[in-house]
Amino acid sequence: MFPWVDGFHWSPGHIIFLSVFFTVVLIILTTFAWAIWRTASDFRTHRATETCWRLNFAELPEAERRCRHELAGRLPHRVCNNAFDCRHCSKYAEFAVLPSKTVAGNAGVNFSDNLLYHRGHTWVRPEDNGTLTIGLDDFAHHLIGHPDSVYLPAKGSEIESNGIAWRMTKNGHEIGVRAPIDGTVVSTGGAKDAWYLKIRPRKPADLRHLLRGPEVPGWLAGEVDRLQLQFSGPDAPPCMADGGTLLPDLMDVMPAADWDTVLAATFLEG
Amino acid sequence: MSARYGFVIDLDRCTGCGACMVACAAENNVPPANPRATPRTGLTPILVRKVSNGMEGAAHREAFIPIACMHCGNETPCVRVCPQQAVEVDKETGIVVQMPQRCLGCRYCMTACPYHARYFNWWDPAWPAGMERSLNPGVAVRMRGVVEKCNMCSARLHSAKEKAAAAGRKEIDPADYIPACAEACPTGAILFGNLADKNDPVASASHSSDAFRLLARIGTEPKVYYKSTEDWVKALAERDSPQPTEAQHG
Amino acid sequence: MGNLLVMDRRLIARGAERTSTMRFVLWLVPWVALLALGIYAAGLCLYYGLNQTHMDNRFAFGMWIFLDLGMIAMGAGAFFTGFLVYILKQEDLKPILNSAVVVGLICYSGAMAVLMVDVGQPLRAWFTFWHPNTHSMLTEVTFCISCYLLVLILEYVPVLLQNRQLRKVPSFLVFEHQLHKLVPVLAAVGAFLSFFHQGSLGGLYGVLRGRPFAFRQGFAIWPSTFFLFILSAIAVGPSFLMLVTAAVETFAGRRLVGANVFRKLGFISGVLLGAYVAAKAIDTLVWLNITSRAVGFTPGDFYAYKPFGSALMFLEIVPLGLIPAFLLTLPVTARKRGWLLCGAALACSGVLLNRFVLTVQTLALPTLAFDEFLQYTPSWQEVVTFAGVIAYGVILYSLSYRYLPLFGQTKGADKNVSVG
Repeated sequence: MFPWVDGFHWSPGHIIFLSVFFTVVLIILTTFAWAIWRTASDFRTHRATETCWRLNFAELPEAERRCRHELAGRLPHRVCNNAFDCRHCSKYAEFAVLPSKTVAGNAGVNFSDNLLYHRGHTWVRPEDNGTLTIGLDDFAHHLIGHPDSVYLPAKGSEIESNGIAWRMTKNGHEIGVRAPIDGTVVSTGGAKDAWYLKIRPRKPADLRHLLRGPEVPGWLAGEVDRLQLQFSGPDAPPCMADGGTLLPDLMDVMPAADWDTVLAATFLEG
Repeated sequence: MSARYGFVIDLDRCTGCGACMVACAAENNVPPANPRATPRTGLTPILVRKVSNGMEGAAHREAFIPIACMHCGNETPCVRVCPQQAVEVDKETGIVVQMPQRCLGCRYCMTACPYHARYFNWWDPAWPAGMERSLNPGVAVRMRGVVEKCNMCSARLHSAKEKAAAAGRKEIDPADYIPACAEACPTGAILFGNLADKNDPVASASHSSDAFRLLARIGTEPKVYYKSTEDWVKALAERDSPQPTEAQHG
Repeated sequence: MGNLLVMDRRLIARGAERTSTMRFVLWLVPWVALLALGIYAAGLCLYYGLNQTHMDNRFAFGMWIFLDLGMIAMGAGAFFTGFLVYILKQEDLKPILNSAVVVGLICYSGAMAVLMVDVGQPLRAWFTFWHPNTHSMLTEVTFCISCYLLVLILEYVPVLLQNRQLRKVPSFLVFEHQLHKLVPVLAAVGAFLSFFHQGSLGGLYGVLRGRPFAFRQGFAIWPSTFFLFILSAIAVGPSFLMLVTAAVETFAGRRLVGANVFRKLGFISGVLLGAYVAAKAIDTLVWLNITSRAVGFTPGDFYAYKPFGSALMFLEIVPLGLIPAFLLTLPVTARKRGWLLCGAALACSGVLLNRFVLTVQTLALPTLAFDEFLQYTPSWQEVVTFAGVIAYGVILYSLSYRYLPLFGQTKGADKNVSVG
């Protein structure tokens, strides 16, 4: 292949053939290298988490992507195609002013009007000193009860919106809880406290994408309906045929249920 | 001046004794056949084939045709198809030289050779104990999985060149270079020499009216000529629609 | 044991219906056994040498080469579907793209594996790259197939990284996304490479001066062997994909792609098959009447020997060529799935027959005036090695189907969601 290799004779045919071959190999390797470089640059510019979230969001079934405005009764039906990012949704302002309908039947799952809720079942409470407190909502508590272990991020570390804020394990299942907002971790709580993280947001936080007011019960009712469907397999014990309240510690009470599916849908695994 | 070494084989003289095959095997370190070898998996750089005129009774005639590499001079099929140039035409001598150490064993050259003159090492070569002392030190032994063929006893050409260089001559003495088959033939049927040398008897023999080449029409310009005064033998040069036997008729 | 079942479930995409772990293992067991046997047979050939096969000095190419060519023709569906979707913008074939990549990967990697056993000195395979012979079709085939295997692997990586657990690693997910954006480049390169090597595989036979059955003179080698091979490969690639998809749908117990995909693949296959049959008919007539007569052969010479009578040529062109072309394109049959699949099967058989004829019949026919017609039957080592490759293909495809989204999203996800 090279002039000094024994017995090799260069000819125009060789030059053409080898140039084409090396060009092709170069294109293939460049494609691969380009993808690696773009991946690295995505991580460097903090775009990776957003990309991952959008890719996972695209995998969610339509039933789990209902727009908050449909949940609040403002619209008859709308599926979100913007990864729940109401901050950058062109239609948000238009829909937010529509009248909402109250929905009953969230089966005893508590919520508070003082809290803002993320679709991944965390709540956010803005504090007076500019920090935000993040906790796990009551629906998640009903499912998990007391987690076996909790892995919180270190103080001073960054969490990114829709990335994994903290992890918990329960009965052999690993749960990644999505961060409702990005910022720096100021202090950490835990399962015993009423909250999990206190963070300082990067800039004055835009919390528009978090659910509030009439959206919350509508959303929770939908979540309870989903639970009912997911539990009602042929082997599932009878549950909630006529309303009633959600039992606590469901993962302990119903260990045989398909928790992989339930937890993945609840915490927006994709 | 470059040579064009070639052969003229007189089929009227060939008795089919096979001495050429034995001499070739001895010269070129061809291993003894494996016990499981068949006529189609043997290793015979030169192979004497029996042919007949297909007639019965008193009209029946037979002849023997030694077939080895024809050292094709034009668009040499094996050279053109080898993916890694493990065979090349030596410009100085016209010999088609096989390099088993570069051969991958893909056997494409074997499908390309019109004369079936190439052989594959289907087994590891093995000599019975003690027989390795008969090996020719001038010729490399091949391993299993590579193709080999007649190299016109190139080792003898090298020896002739060395002898000439030692004597201070640039050209070899033609008497010093003769392949094993031509040397061993008891009837002198195999004539070897330089086809490009007008003074060489082989050159004039190749121009004789009784001389022909096998499958000349495909245009590979083989350097092995055959000679016969029998018309039926000359007719074997080309396929002229011979009738297949009853058993094979489609 | 329970942990293994849980692990298996977690590897399967959420919402995807897959058979139970037990049944899947039972399905795999016979294929793994066959693969093990294949490895054993191949091992015998690598250890003892190619005397384990029934190939010989006259049948230097045998069953393996014929089946390699067949596999590569079947695998043409991968590059051709990519070409149709990314270059010709036939978006409705997108659902079958991932499956096509897996089929292509199986066909090419399987062919390479068999080739490594088929050559006498596999460790010298790199010599072709070091001492390339630009006159040889086989050099071109080697270069192109090596590059193309690389392309197929790179096209498979995004599919692999879409596995439920692998997606959870952020760097894998982002890399998959970035690589996926570049797949049109890979598809174009794949189409370019495939065009050349599919053709050169035909050219392999066309250059054989000493084999008048296969030989085509001078420039004629291009329209005859080269283009006929490409044409037959792109004709049969979509058909093979149809057969694979239908088989998977049968095993999975549900429809995985819309009937329009079958219809479109069938139509494309049928049209190309028709063009191929027409070109082949012309080539055959020229070859019989002009090329081989010039070197003293008559058509009778080629078809005088059982079982390679002229019936075989007729079989290749009409029942396995023209008829499936009609079945796949005429609305009266193309409307029905059964007829489409029948046409696809006939088309694949026809191309396999073509590869067989060019490999085996070429070598069986006598060339010298005093040659005989020869027979060849593969040895069990050859058959079992190839069976092992089939098993490998089934295993790889089964694993890919179970754990990867081969047939688009199973949860009805919205493809309109914009990602960066």
